[in-house]
Amino acid sequence: MFKKILIANRGEIALRIICACKELDIRTVAVYSEADRYALHVRFADEAICIGPPRASDSYLNIPHIISAAEVTGAEAIHPGYGFLAENPNFAEVCETSGVTFIGPRPELINLMGQKDQARREMARAGLPIVPGSDGVVRSEEEARRIAAGIGYPVIIKAAAGGGGRGMRVAWKESELANFVATAQHEARQAFGTPDVYLEKYIAHPRHIEFQVLGDMYGNVAHLGERECSIQRRHQKLIEESPSPAVSEETRRALGDQVVQAMRALGYNNAGTIEFLMDEDGNFYFIEMNTRIQVEHAVTEMVTGLDLVKKQILLAAGERLENLIRPDLRLRGHALECRIVAEDPETFQPSAGRITVFHAPGGTGVRVDTAAYTDCVIPPFYDSLLAKLITFGQSRDEAIARMSRALDMFVVEGIYTTIPLHQRIMQHPDFQAGRLDTHFLERLNHQQVAVSVTG
Amino acid sequence: MPVKRKPDSAKPSARGAAADNFIPFEQIQALIDLLEERGLEEFELEREGIRIRIKRRGVAAPPPVFESYAPAAGNSPAVEASMGAETAAEAEAREDLHVVKSPIVGTFYSAARPDAPPFVKLGDTVDVGQVLCIIEAMKLMNEIEADVAGEVVRIYVENAQPVEYGESLFALRPLKRK
Repeated sequence: MFKKILIANRGEIALRIICACKELDIRTVAVYSEADRYALHVRFADEAICIGPPRASDSYLNIPHIISAAEVTGAEAIHPGYGFLAENPNFAEVCETSGVTFIGPRPELINLMGQKDQARREMARAGLPIVPGSDGVVRSEEEARRIAAGIGYPVIIKAAAGGGGRGMRVAWKESELANFVATAQHEARQAFGTPDVYLEKYIAHPRHIEFQVLGDMYGNVAHLGERECSIQRRHQKLIEESPSPAVSEETRRALGDQVVQAMRALGYNNAGTIEFLMDEDGNFYFIEMNTRIQVEHAVTEMVTGLDLVKKQILLAAGERLENLIRPDLRLRGHALECRIVAEDPETFQPSAGRITVFHAPGGTGVRVDTAAYTDCVIPPFYDSLLAKLITFGQSRDEAIARMSRALDMFVVEGIYTTIPLHQRIMQHPDFQAGRLDTHFLERLNHQQVAVSVTG
Repeated sequence: MPVKRKPDSAKPSARGAAADNFIPFEQIQALIDLLEERGLEEFELEREGIRIRIKRRGVAAPPPVFESYAPAAGNSPAVEASMGAETAAEAEAREDLHVVKSPIVGTFYSAARPDAPPFVKLGDTVDVGQVLCIIEAMKLMNEIEADVAGEVVRIYVENAQPVEYGESLFALRPLKRK
């Protein structure tokens, strides 16, 4: 077992890792930038090393400084948290060659899953369903028509070199297809210099559902059920829950088995998340895999009773999976997480500055993961996650009621936060009924605009 | 309902001792003039509840909101570690010294080899570009050079001691410019 672990991160996740280490009786080394001198991860770690100026590229992303900090403190392992260097295969490799254990999967797995196309192909080969499409560039109108007929309408035409919505068109029926292929090709050439486009089935109202997995170094993999993260703003998750109101016990078992088989085929080790889109008919499509602990891991912890960060550390130290989780693991109750972000809830502008009053809610079934405190300064250099408010209930209704009252009892003054937005979502009949998809927030904002225009 | 309030702009601190220790604008102006006059890069002073730091252009200074925060984490190792830097800054201000700080994290070596004499000792006069010490990071030996010419009047760290980013290594008394 490790005697000392360096935490290559900041904020709430650095604190979360310190908690796990303290409970395992492992000493901790915090690293920090000059902007974080008075941060809580610096205070609660056994040792702390300043690794650079405020800019992340000079500090939390500075691989030589972090490795050097591990060397001078004698840390045997590095936990990367999420973000920063967590999914950087080069960092994982430098750790290995420096004789420091990287707490996460092997570098080649990080590398594979970081290349989204390759990951999709590999996962399809391992038996996971992927969004049906043209599997390559569509050359002609004729070819597009044939493929679209095969996968069924609507279809989305995307630029191969694409991103940011440019060169994208949704065709709802065959009569629209020819025009849209030409337009998308034209836009793709304008935006990316190449007219290459491909076709995919368009999922109009997808739900985002992901499976948590754990693997050991000996080829054993288990899943810990799913999380639903359909409440998003521009692909940033805002609210997560487990279990998903849209996944039955039967589906969980069937898809969970498929996920476990695919991960065994890869020899996946440590914690990871396999993300799917679910369409209106209940079909699942693999989209990507995250090879790290995720922000929303806490909801899985609440319904499984497992400490995922501790499991990560134990797995990295060579523990066998069968000694860490019971084979008859079942999800119990319901957990919700709201990401409280330092942003204006209307405009989503980041709101850095000093917190003048900070009161976190508590009571039965409430958990707050945060590194904020009264008089702390939220620096403008890093992401704006201020706190994760997690509630647990025997049922989804209880978890929602608990979240509503906990949001009411969460006081943050001095900066703007998204607490009012979460309060509105908790009151929304669609959210309460579990009618979710990734466009929920866009609709909510439209409704609000409509109200303010008429009212 | 939580109360939301936009922070007042440019207030040094909302409460506590800061108000009592408020430094008049003229004094700050005088400090800035002094920095200009003496060609100093940076000046830092900390007293109960207030911290003032003046820095000349070069490295982008963080926004002013960071300059006034109270050390809430009183007993943290990092704060203790930073005390050395504060003292160095005060000494620098009082005695017109130039402090050489570590640009990297690593292990400080005062000599090229264990049996070799140190690169510099107290009282030595160094030139710009002269090697002052070595900091080992990831098996690489990084030579740290003097960025001003002057007399070595303080050595803050001991041989083979780990140093963090920004830690004070040497204080130099710059040679008087004619």
